[in-house]
Amino acid sequence: MSEFHLTEDQQDCLQEIINIAMGQASDQLARYLDTFVYLKVPSIESIGAKDLLQTLSQQKNTMAVVSQGFFGYEGIRGEALLSYQEEDSGRIADLLGYEPDELSKDEQLIDISSILTTTFLNVFARQIDNQMSYNAPKLLPSVQNSLSEHLQEMTFNWDLALKVNISYQVTDYSFNCNMILLIPETAIVNIKHVLDRILAEF
Amino acid sequence: MSPSVLICDDSNMARKQVLRSLPEQWKTSVQTASNGAEALTILRDNSIEVLFLDLTMPGIDGIGVLQGINKLNLNCSVFVISADIQPEMQAKVKALGAKEFIRKPVKADVLINHLQQHGLL
Amino acid sequence: MFDINAMTSLKNTSKSALTEPVIKQINIQIANQINTGVLVLDAEFNIVLWNRFLQIHTDKDAANIIGQSIFIAFPELPERWLSRKLSAVLQLNTPSFCSWQQRHHLFELPHTRPITTDSEFMAQNCTFLPIETECKHKHICILIEDVTDVCHYQGQLQKTLEELAQMSRIDGLTQIYNRRHWQESLVQEYAKSRRHTKNLSLIMLDLDLFKLLNDNYGHQCGDMVLIEISALISSLLRVEDIFGRYGGEEFAIILPETNLTGAMELAQRICHSIATAQLKYNGQAIKVTVSLGVAQLSEQTSSYEELITHADLALYQAKSQGRNQVCSATNMATN
Repeated sequence: MSEFHLTEDQQDCLQEIINIAMGQASDQLARYLDTFVYLKVPSIESIGAKDLLQTLSQQKNTMAVVSQGFFGYEGIRGEALLSYQEEDSGRIADLLGYEPDELSKDEQLIDISSILTTTFLNVFARQIDNQMSYNAPKLLPSVQNSLSEHLQEMTFNWDLALKVNISYQVTDYSFNCNMILLIPETAIVNIKHVLDRILAEF
Repeated sequence: MSPSVLICDDSNMARKQVLRSLPEQWKTSVQTASNGAEALTILRDNSIEVLFLDLTMPGIDGIGVLQGINKLNLNCSVFVISADIQPEMQAKVKALGAKEFIRKPVKADVLINHLQQHGLL
Repeated sequence: MFDINAMTSLKNTSKSALTEPVIKQINIQIANQINTGVLVLDAEFNIVLWNRFLQIHTDKDAANIIGQSIFIAFPELPERWLSRKLSAVLQLNTPSFCSWQQRHHLFELPHTRPITTDSEFMAQNCTFLPIETECKHKHICILIEDVTDVCHYQGQLQKTLEELAQMSRIDGLTQIYNRRHWQESLVQEYAKSRRHTKNLSLIMLDLDLFKLLNDNYGHQCGDMVLIEISALISSLLRVEDIFGRYGGEEFAIILPETNLTGAMELAQRICHSIATAQLKYNGQAIKVTVSLGVAQLSEQTSSYEELITHADLALYQAKSQGRNQVCSATNMATN
């Protein structure tokens, strides 16, 4: 077991914080979108670099991936990747309250990704007494095979990936996307410190 | 006189968080369950007076536990403690007989306040 | 204009001697010297602050701008879309972004780069930030970055990449497809005709006695002939036909949705056109002929390679029967 692996308690603590963040984020989204957002419990997996590449390569018909960097105090930083399947991208403009001709499909994906990532991570940061800043979200060029390339070309070496499967259902239709949080080595150590601090309070 | 208490949550940390927030004198008579099925077994075999219940759990979830309590006709005060805080969910658990909906992360003063409101303290 | 809290907390930890008024002055100067447009709106989208960058670039009077709705001050903005985006910033308390890659610019500002670009306006990356202050209403800060040069160089890079991609498909001498691209196309056309049970034919052709031509007139003459012949054949083809240089003096043509009769007709026309072409090198008339082999995809053909082999065998037969003629793979089979 490497020093980057989370202990059972740390994993439990992180899952709970993520659940709370997701719950609050979907409540905010529901208010903003003026509709009921049904949120399945996000399933969280922490996986190593090699396993992630394998998981991603198995993931068929991914049509788009949007990446957005985030950084907070105490060295907590990383990159959020949101991946969409073809069938889930059709009605995002609708969901966001735009007219379809007001923005391109690319812009719709970037917009919804940014909203999901930042609402979620803002609440997450608040839970751990932190505050996040964000880079502008980017749509990765032609997803076919480029995801693994992108992962290798990233500005930092990441060692742990938190894969959070988010499934939003919005009244009469649903859309799914996967959120993957890539976290570099140093940030994992910092997250572990934060988790230990929270756990020590019990 | 402290009532018999059950805390049901799949997260160990969340269970500890509830336990820590309870009034001192209650802490001696607390049982815990990490999923809905376990909770229903304990509820059936023991007379539990106060249940602190999470909603999102694998297998039988909080809604399932509330339905089970109604089916078994148990007399137990249920406080739902959940991360899913949308108004629709709050209305749903109230309709199923929950006394109160408390948002996670639970805080001691909020919990005590609710217990007092329902005459349990 | 800037978040003083962050600066003051910095002051406390770093034991700096700066007082709050000094920090404010520094902030104001930074805001006015920075090469980024800064615009602050209230919750009704009225402009409450702007920096010097915008004053200079918009050529608008500060007295009229402050207090005015952003949509009146900048009528070029897409109002419905931007209102929705700004609402998200206020309601969700999250930042929002708009990249030049999706929208070249939001604000019609002249660009300041000494380079010629396609647009008369500055390409922009815009960031929308929620701002919380002592004031009970929220504000939105819009940052407008000039990315005209990024946009320009990206465009040039794109053009170069396209040229490179084109070059990797083209034979440098004859300007028709090279063998690699031709073969990739054949793989695709083969799969397509199998999937949709459509006809597919192939012509392989070879310049007759090309070595002799090179020996007699020199390689420059040989090159000239290859170029002229390629151009001549190209002029006889349909847009959907795929013409490539297969080897030194060997060429190949993929004919989608064409049966053997159609392919034979075309091959005859090519054969005749080349034989009667008036080619000249250094004032001297050059006589050139070609031999052609034609094959059609049949149910028995098990691969695209086999189709090439059939056409190649037909070509070999045309050569051995005296050159300057067309042979088909079926003739050969019946022979």
